[in-house]
Amino acid sequence: MEKIKLLIVDDEVNFLLSIAKRLEIRDFAVVTAANGEQAVSAAENNKFDIALLDLKMPGMDGKQVLEILKKEHKYIEVVILTGHGSLESAVECTRLGAFGYLPKPYEFDKLMETLKDAYSARMLKKFKKDEERVSELMKIAAGSSPTGILREMKKFDDEEK
Amino acid sequence: MEEKLYKNDILRDKQFRELRRGLLLRLSCTYLLPFVILIIFFLIEFNSLNHESQILRMKAMAENQSNLLDLFLKERIVNLRNLIDDPSLQIPPSNRDMDQYLNKLQLDSDAFIDVGFFDSDGVQIAYAGPVELLKKKDYSKEPWYVSLLKNDKRHIFTDIYLGFRNNPHLTIAVKRREGDHFMVMKSSLDPKKIYEFMTSAEEAGDMFISIVNKDGHFQLVPSDEGNVLDSSPFIPDAGSKLDISKAVYDDNSITYAYAWLDEVKWAVIARKRVSDEGFRGMKSGLIYLSAAILLILFAVIYSRSIKIANMEIEKKITRSQLEHASKLASVGELAGGIAHEINNPLAIVASEVGLIKDIMNPEFGLDSGFDSIEPHLANIHDAAFRCRDITRKLLSFVRQDDIELKQHNINDIINDLVEGFFERTLSVSNISMKLDLKDDLPDLTTDKNQLRQVLINIINNAVDAITPPGEIIIATSYHDDVITISIADSGNGISEEDIDKIFMPFFTTKEVGKGTGLGLSVSYGIIKNFGGNIEVESIYNKGTIFKIKLPVINFQ
Repeated sequence: MEKIKLLIVDDEVNFLLSIAKRLEIRDFAVVTAANGEQAVSAAENNKFDIALLDLKMPGMDGKQVLEILKKEHKYIEVVILTGHGSLESAVECTRLGAFGYLPKPYEFDKLMETLKDAYSARMLKKFKKDEERVSELMKIAAGSSPTGILREMKKFDDEEK
Repeated sequence: MEEKLYKNDILRDKQFRELRRGLLLRLSCTYLLPFVILIIFFLIEFNSLNHESQILRMKAMAENQSNLLDLFLKERIVNLRNLIDDPSLQIPPSNRDMDQYLNKLQLDSDAFIDVGFFDSDGVQIAYAGPVELLKKKDYSKEPWYVSLLKNDKRHIFTDIYLGFRNNPHLTIAVKRREGDHFMVMKSSLDPKKIYEFMTSAEEAGDMFISIVNKDGHFQLVPSDEGNVLDSSPFIPDAGSKLDISKAVYDDNSITYAYAWLDEVKWAVIARKRVSDEGFRGMKSGLIYLSAAILLILFAVIYSRSIKIANMEIEKKITRSQLEHASKLASVGELAGGIAHEINNPLAIVASEVGLIKDIMNPEFGLDSGFDSIEPHLANIHDAAFRCRDITRKLLSFVRQDDIELKQHNINDIINDLVEGFFERTLSVSNISMKLDLKDDLPDLTTDKNQLRQVLINIINNAVDAITPPGEIIIATSYHDDVITISIADSGNGISEEDIDKIFMPFFTTKEVGKGTGLGLSVSYGIIKNFGGNIEVESIYNKGTIFKIKLPVINFQ
């Protein structure tokens, strides 16, 4: 089974390393970033399924990173993990497209559950998209040339990246 | 808690008494002292004025009376001379003539007691008067007769004497040359009548008038003052005609005026009655009145000072309560930023504990040796102490410490504060904090906690004013015995209409529930208490600079 690709962003290095380690041994493919800028550039180079994101960070803060990730990457799900939790920021992050919002310190089981749900959501979304794509392809296939089909499939593959 | 209350009560009582004492002293100095000085000044002035006017009055009285008496005696001489010079005088006059003469004399003055006529041998050959015995009596050896004959003047007065009749009287006599011998006409005068004449002529009022001879024996004297011929305490100086002198009378030194007569070596003595009742009464009345006013004033001042002292204490208590409330409020504002900071180390602890569990879990087949666990334990340890630091700082700030004046370096306080409260909060909020602290600051005697509170209030406001990213610059400098702490932010600034109100209690621009409006007003009070000042400059939408100016005064 393919590993879940996870980006963890937090300015607390000790926290970052320990949570990364715990998730790695649970078969996540983890990339860490200590600030917002690192996170954005890491996301450019990798295709992540989920990002685990701290809100309060020096430099680019969590909300900005959330906005960029959601804009640049269609299928990524973002889970917020913050020590400065408040209802207002939870509502705002949800509005910006965050899948989950967990306060620090977190319960590990809850985190795992959320990550799995996020992955399921991501997969479902991708699946739906694929389905739409396939039915679209079928439509095109019904009335056009093989080269047209190949061109469409190539476009689809490019979009996947 | 109860013990603390008790301690507070004692403290309060002590403060109250000190305050009251100070107030009493100040109020007394302001209100009572001038009044007392005025009274004393008035009494002294009154005394000396009174004294002067009395002396003037006594002198006038003595002079008047002596003139009067001179005049009176001259008249009596004239009366007698009219008789002896009368060309129709028969020599020797018969006793019937003498009776007529006496009647005539007594018509002029009832002081005449008798009248006698002496032949050239000094024998009284004719007489009219109450003492029949004196007829044919030889006066040629009497001192007055001898000196009359020797004298250039045509008349003579005697001092008061008892004489043959053993009754005080004075003799006046005139002589008339007849060839180589003299005829003499003599009359006795009743001193009582003379005295009545004198004192009734002028309002003696509160004066004693008496007359003494050159030896100081009373000649004419009111009966309550002394007896005729007794020696008096008054021995006026014969050198000056009219003057003031002092005498000891009833163990008191009294001042009297005297005036010498022209006709006879007598002096009129005028002096105040001993009791001085009018004056004394007025004086003591004045003193009683002043004392009463002083008492009332003192009572008013006393009650006022109690009231003011109470009010001051209440104000102090209210102020300290207000300060504490605002301190709690600033902590509340801080807590949003700082208390959350506890979550981060707690998250590390939870995460590391989970990781260690994983390492120990054989399911994962990881190396569970000490070396692989130790760094994680160290991380937990560090995180725990981070939490402790945060809570400790918060607690140390909230605690209501007594004011403790100590020497502090302002830079140390600022460094401490920034590290403790603001550094991380600001860095994660994208607000950069720059410090520009001059090394040459002298130590300042101040209360660390209060100063920290002021700084926290202003920095909190700066943080709230900034929409990130932004920066806060804290700088210190020292000029002319004044340390300036400036806190500049790149925030929204304060609008012109608000800038006058920012130090007013309960003025706030923050949302309801976010700000109390106490921070700056209390900060202002604290800095004013230190003898300093807070200045503020702001450009709307550019930023604000608060300048705290503290004079370097060493209290100890």
